Amino acid sequence: VTIAILGPEVSWYLGVAAFLFATGAFGVLVRRSPLIVLLSLEIMLNGANLALIAFSRHHGRGDGQIFALSVMAIAASEVVVGLGLIVAMSRKRVALDIDKLNVLRG
Amino acid sequence: MIWGAWLCLVSPLAAAALITIGGNGISRRAAGYLATLATGIAFVGALVSFFALVSRDPGDREHLSTAWTWLGAGSYHSGLSILVDPLSVMMMLVVSGVGALIVGYSVGYMDGDPEERRYFAYMAVFVFSMLLLVEGGNLLLLLAGWGMVGLSSYLLIGFWHERPSAIAAAKKAFVMNAIGDATMALAFFVLIQRTGSLDYGDVFARSGRLGGWAINLVALGLLGGAVAKSAQLPLQTWLPDAMEGPTPVSALIHAATMVTAGVYLIVRTHPIFEQAPKIENLAAGLGAATLLMAGLIALVQTDVKRVIAYSTMSQIGYMFVGAGLGAYANGMFHLMTHAFFKALLFMAAGIVIHALAGEQDIRNMGGLRELMPFTRWCFLVGSLALVGVFPFAGFFSKDSILAAAMDHGWYGYVLWVAGLAGTLLTGLYTFRMYFVVFGGQRSAYVREHFHQEHGEGPFSMTSTVAILAGLAFVGGWIEFAPFWHPVTNWLEPVARPLVEPASWMEWTSSAIALVLGLAGIGIAWVFYGARRPRPVPRLAPVERALAHKLYFDEAYDLVFYRPAARLALLLGKLVERPLIAGSGRELAAGSVDVGRGFSRLQTGLVRTYALAIASSLAVIAIVFVAVR
Repeated sequence: VTIAILGPEVSWYLGVAAFLFATGAFGVLVRRSPLIVLLSLEIMLNGANLALIAFSRHHGRGDGQIFALSVMAIAASEVVVGLGLIVAMSRKRVALDIDKLNVLRG
Repeated sequence: MIWGAWLCLVSPLAAAALITIGGNGISRRAAGYLATLATGIAFVGALVSFFALVSRDPGDREHLSTAWTWLGAGSYHSGLSILVDPLSVMMMLVVSGVGALIVGYSVGYMDGDPEERRYFAYMAVFVFSMLLLVEGGNLLLLLAGWGMVGLSSYLLIGFWHERPSAIAAAKKAFVMNAIGDATMALAFFVLIQRTGSLDYGDVFARSGRLGGWAINLVALGLLGGAVAKSAQLPLQTWLPDAMEGPTPVSALIHAATMVTAGVYLIVRTHPIFEQAPKIENLAAGLGAATLLMAGLIALVQTDVKRVIAYSTMSQIGYMFVGAGLGAYANGMFHLMTHAFFKALLFMAAGIVIHALAGEQDIRNMGGLRELMPFTRWCFLVGSLALVGVFPFAGFFSKDSILAAAMDHGWYGYVLWVAGLAGTLLTGLYTFRMYFVVFGGQRSAYVREHFHQEHGEGPFSMTSTVAILAGLAFVGGWIEFAPFWHPVTNWLEPVARPLVEPASWMEWTSSAIALVLGLAGIGIAWVFYGARRPRPVPRLAPVERALAHKLYFDEAYDLVFYRPAARLALLLGKLVERPLIAGSGRELAAGSVDVGRGFSRLQTGLVRTYALAIASSLAVIAIVFVAVR
């Protein structure tokens, strides 16, 4: 069974997805606030999700979409943990600057 | 019958294991009785095998029993097997019989020693090792027994381990024996390579393929082992030092086990030696040289045990002459009678040492004649047997070796003269010792330390010495060369003699040897025994050389030990410290540096990690696309 695909080519979607992913990665690399880093991570995940769904439509199969759903679930849990950490850090009056969190330096 | 031989082999080992496992659970006395009982059982086992063999046809007196294949490598297999034939049974009887008497004697001699259990466990292991050596059904087991005899002697010579001299003597004996073990092992390697086997039958049947130099090499290697174990020139220096062990240990080493192993080896492997006549002559020559040298050194020794030790070297020299000339039965016969009178002499000397609170210097003894009549008579019997006075045991066995030497061309006559000179020396040093210890006035030391109530030792000591005195008296009668020779007939199927001395040779040798022996005794009497002894003629340089045992120890120290020690020190300075120890330090410092470099990568900054991950992923993606 072939399903007619409406809308633009898959490459357009991929372009948007890559743009989102790159934006997120840039944010992770350059920002110092852990809150913003988490936010950028979410943007990266959404870029990846978009790519998954685009391919899913392109191939006419549903597994990519299901995968995207589980990515969302995991992203939500991750945000919970991350935000919890950030709250705990501010409670302990630890500076909210990831460049100062370098206890693991060799 | 084969079970008797197995019993003979296993029972001393079982006793050693029981004493070791039992530990404090068994009393010291019980350990002594257990070891004695086990060697006694071994003797019974040997008797069973002996009578089983006697009842068979002379051609059917060789039995090999294999328990299991002990080890195999490729096409080579070696079984854990024992060989029961006239030769091994004769050795079994001597080893376990005399061994049992010596272990029984130790019960009295070692009484009160804090480590009696260890002593008796070692003694049992010693007897087991020697039995393994003589019963082993192939050369590999013989070598195993050979090495274990060396180990047990090391343990027993160094038994009183709080004495530094005992430890040094034990080490010396072990190292000297290890040299012999090594040459034997090398000979066996050649045999395995050329004949593919170490079983007696295969080796002797195929020894013809070895070829000229290989057979000489093998015989030389075997001779090296024999010379080391039997304390012959040039590996003899360990034997006098081995007197550091308890006296019964000396008796065991000299009479039943250990030093006789070399003679046994030559007789056992005689088909190899017969194909290498030069090496055979070398063995006889070494024996003759040793018997003269030991006899001379014994003249000036002042330690009663050392005099007897040198007499052992001398007597083993006679056995080497016999075995080297192909008079195997005569050598073995002398081995047997020697076991009787040498054990007797050591154990009688042990009674004296025991009574004089451990004193061994004969200059401190004297006048013990009336104080210890029993010991004196036993010692006299042993001495007469050693000198070879008719009708004591040594007369029959030693003289037959001398007679055999006459039937071996001019070389034989050289050995014959050496042997006769040795007889004179034997009479001289033996009776010098006898007269100094038992004759003359009581010395100050004896008056102070001898206690009448102590007597001549407990029953276990006197009874065993009495039995041995009886054996030293009558033990030689079983073979009287011109008239009856059951020992020669008994060993005939195993080792056919190469020489057959005529009857006039027997008579001449016996007569001359007897006269020379008596002359030796007479000279000793003139200088040491007479009521008004003449002053002993002194030749200071000779005396000094003999007291230093002809400088063998000094020479070995100079030639082998010092250069080796100096080389080791030099290598330590040039190689060990800079290269080996230095490289360790450098390696440690280097790895610390590398580790520090890598640790610098761990910045602790999440961003760098993220960058590393992102850039690596990018690289992988690019490579992936490019390669595709």
